[in-house]
Amino acid sequence: MTAVRAILFVPEGLVVLVLPPLLMSVIAKTKAWFGGRVGPPWLQPYFDLHKLFQKNAVYSKTTTWVFRAGPIISLAALLTAATLVPVLSNESLLGFSGDVILLAYLFALGRMFTVLAAMDTGSSFEGMGAAREVTFGAMSEPALFLAFVVMAVATKSLQFSHMVGPSLLPEWSIAGPAMILVVGALLVVLLTEACRVPVDDPATHLELTMIHEVMVLDHSGPEFAYITYGAALKFTLLGSILVHAAIPHPEGLSGLTPLLRIVELGGLAVLVGIIESVMARFRLNRVPMLLAGATVLSAIAVVLVLVRRTV
Amino acid sequence: MLVAILLIVVPAVFSLVCLGLPTPRWRMAAMAAGAWAHLGVVLWSWQRQLEPVSGELLGVDPLGHLFITLISVLFAAASLHFVGYHRRALLSQRVFLACILGLLSALSAVCVSQNLGLLWVALEASTLAAAPLIYFHLGARALEATWKFLLMNSVGIALALLGVFCTALASMGGGADISLSVTDLVAHGAKLDPAWVRAGFLLAMVGYGTKMGLAPLHSWLPDAHGEAPATISALLSGAVLNAAFLAILRAYQVCVAAGLGVFAGRWLIAFGLFSMAVAGVFVVGQRHFKRLLAYSSIEHMGILAVAAGLGSAASYSTMLHVFHNVLYKGSLFFIAGLLGQLYGSYQIADIHGALHRYPFTGFLLLAALFATIGLPPFGLFYSELGILFAAGRTGHWWVLAAFTLFLCVVFVGMVTAVLPMAFGKPDELTKSPDRTGHVEQWRYAVMATSAALLIAGGLVLASYQPTSVRNALERAAATLAGPQSTSRVAVSAPGDIGP
Amino acid sequence: MLQSVIDSILVLAVLLNLAMLATSRMAACVRTFALQSLLLALLPIAVGLRHETWPGAHTFAIAAGAVGLKVFLIPWILLRVLRTGEIHREVEPFIGFTASVMLGALIIVASFAFANRMPLPTQAPTDLLLPVSLATLFNGLLMLVSRVKAITQVLGYLVVENGIFVFGLLLLERTPVLVELGILLDLFVAVFIMGIVIYHIRREFDHMDTNLLGELKEV
Repeated sequence: MTAVRAILFVPEGLVVLVLPPLLMSVIAKTKAWFGGRVGPPWLQPYFDLHKLFQKNAVYSKTTTWVFRAGPIISLAALLTAATLVPVLSNESLLGFSGDVILLAYLFALGRMFTVLAAMDTGSSFEGMGAAREVTFGAMSEPALFLAFVVMAVATKSLQFSHMVGPSLLPEWSIAGPAMILVVGALLVVLLTEACRVPVDDPATHLELTMIHEVMVLDHSGPEFAYITYGAALKFTLLGSILVHAAIPHPEGLSGLTPLLRIVELGGLAVLVGIIESVMARFRLNRVPMLLAGATVLSAIAVVLVLVRRTV
Repeated sequence: MLVAILLIVVPAVFSLVCLGLPTPRWRMAAMAAGAWAHLGVVLWSWQRQLEPVSGELLGVDPLGHLFITLISVLFAAASLHFVGYHRRALLSQRVFLACILGLLSALSAVCVSQNLGLLWVALEASTLAAAPLIYFHLGARALEATWKFLLMNSVGIALALLGVFCTALASMGGGADISLSVTDLVAHGAKLDPAWVRAGFLLAMVGYGTKMGLAPLHSWLPDAHGEAPATISALLSGAVLNAAFLAILRAYQVCVAAGLGVFAGRWLIAFGLFSMAVAGVFVVGQRHFKRLLAYSSIEHMGILAVAAGLGSAASYSTMLHVFHNVLYKGSLFFIAGLLGQLYGSYQIADIHGALHRYPFTGFLLLAALFATIGLPPFGLFYSELGILFAAGRTGHWWVLAAFTLFLCVVFVGMVTAVLPMAFGKPDELTKSPDRTGHVEQWRYAVMATSAALLIAGGLVLASYQPTSVRNALERAAATLAGPQSTSRVAVSAPGDIGP
Repeated sequence: MLQSVIDSILVLAVLLNLAMLATSRMAACVRTFALQSLLLALLPIAVGLRHETWPGAHTFAIAAGAVGLKVFLIPWILLRVLRTGEIHREVEPFIGFTASVMLGALIIVASFAFANRMPLPTQAPTDLLLPVSLATLFNGLLMLVSRVKAITQVLGYLVVENGIFVFGLLLLERTPVLVELGILLDLFVAVFIMGIVIYHIRREFDHMDTNLLGELKEV
């Protein structure tokens, strides 16, 4: 890493940290446009975060330290993951061979502590949401891992920043259909992990239909801010993975890359907003079929990529 | 070539005529005329010297000639039997009669086709023509039998198509151009790609084996035979199963030419023995007469598979067995139809004392039973003995033992079921007297005659073995054993076990 | 470029197999089959184009026949039978929809593994042809064996035929036209007769559950 790169990482990192709530408001604006409304102001999520930080936190008497630790640990995990994922450029802050597994398990760690915090409250609603979240998470993991396998086989590397770097570009011409399947699977994984329609409706107010929202019902104040920001950050990271896999930039574009990436992430947010507006949430017993379908897509992509390799 | 086209077209033309005629009687006459005209063409073809021409789609080679003669004779007899059997029309009679002739046309195409693809098309056409025939009696049970028949056979035939394609790929081995012609494939056997020949043979055996009734793909057979009218059961057992066997034999020919005869033989023997075992299990204690006969058909198909699998040592016996199997199975089903109408039921428990109440029928029943079981002087005895000798000669001792065991089991099962039907107390009335059928004299005569013709024909030809018949069988066996067969002397030896 | 078009068609056809296994609405299943047949009918033309020359009349005849029969005529017959019956949804088969899809994916993977070991004596248009044909064939068999309603069983049989059609593309210009057309005609008549039988089944039993066709068995 050259000195120039090291210096450039600071503003880049700041942009990455500031970006997620903006993506959330892009989604909200898209949905509002579909609904014929104006929607909340662009900076509303930032105002919400600011408001939450001013408040006090209220803790229920049944909770223990797990409840307080949950949001903190999950945010910490996501921030660590942010150092491994190249968001705006082709390189990430940290990286080593095999960090793709660490990445997947950082997401899992965050999910685990959210779930534990939810169950710690002793309320049955949170328990129900936790059960659903864990089931769907378990079913989306294979899809994510198989997609990683495809990219690893294609780029012959296990370091995540190399897997989605410029070396992925030739794969689109060698095994185009396989990459399309991978992008499809990653989109479904994104929708699942970020708790969007068709897996989970973020705008619902009925606890029986919630998955993610119900788990965080009891949090308040700064911890709720951590959770909200963490969810946005998760969306940004998974979205970056998807965008980098879908549109690998060649080496020569290094100056233009951050701007293009922001535009692409914005486009992804618009796409998610469109999906949320035109579809209804799936019935809960159909969601496993969707996730199984994503896994199947990834599996077929693996087979296709291997076939191309042995030819 | 002309002969081949005639053989296919004549029944087809009569079938269309059948559709068009106004009265039921005329239609029956047209059906019978069609079957007998076909027989006439076949007999005429024996006068001419026939050699299949390489590259042409149709051609009559000794193997196919033998099969089509037998099928034609069976259809002619069946047309007679049906005239006597058919009382009231349930399914549309037009469609039914047209389908019978359509079936004949399709089976002719199977026998005279020299192209594996055309063979497949013809066999599939025969499945489709046979489906309405099974549905003759209408009703839930016939429908179930028809659905099972249609679906299982269609899937089997689809797999056989894949086998045809695999064989086509095999013919491209060594850079040669693709060919589906049997004569070409056999001639260039050494250049075929062995992996694809193996795949093609296995798929063809499984696919056509479904149609032939080899276990474990036989489950449609007892239902179809049980529910279809007796004439149709005779046609199914006697003609359709054997046509499927011919298709497997064509695939076997290709294998032998490619040097994979032992591989193919092993699989054929395995399936054959398994079929015989299954038949043995279900024959013992069977209560429905036609289902009993259906399992006997499965047993005979198993015997044929074992015989074909034993290679050139048993080729003559295979041909002899086919010859007699067609005749005697047909006659047995005709008699079953007659008995069913006389006694009003197909349950074995309801039929007894046939020798006393209807002497001629009882006598025919016993004759047909002994013929099918394999007692001398009927021809199946010699063919089964020939197979045993061939198994011993080639060193397949376990095969010999299993073969004998299953033959005995089926023997016991059939005899214990059928002997009480023929003998039994003469005074005993049937359990439900109002179900005794009234069969007019002329119907009785016609049905009995058709059965008697077949049995007598088989007996005469087995006992006297005129040279022409013997030559035809030997030529067919030689075609099966392949061009490089050196055991021509050994081939005719089992035939010497004749009277 | 043409290569990736051919590859995409094949991959999409395989995915449509899984879509057919996943759906319980029979009309949707029939339409998915029609779409798959349309895609596969375009394959001979694409393969013919690969040789840089305009493909011959032979190829167009096969493609036209396949489209006419499998995209229009046969789905029309099946949809008519569906419309006259009151049943529109498949019941839960004894394997279960999600499990069928997973099994179907397993079959696809196994087909790829198996096809790797069978060397083709001729240069195939694409190395995906053999595995996709085997995968379609076995997925069709899975549908045939595991489903309960008669229409879905017929669809399973038709998918098996589709798989064999793909396999036949390996031999494209070299089999006589007569045989190819004979195959298509047989298929049509087979489905026609099956449609009639299903109509009779529905009339006789008021349902299409082949589970309940169980009267004939060894007592």
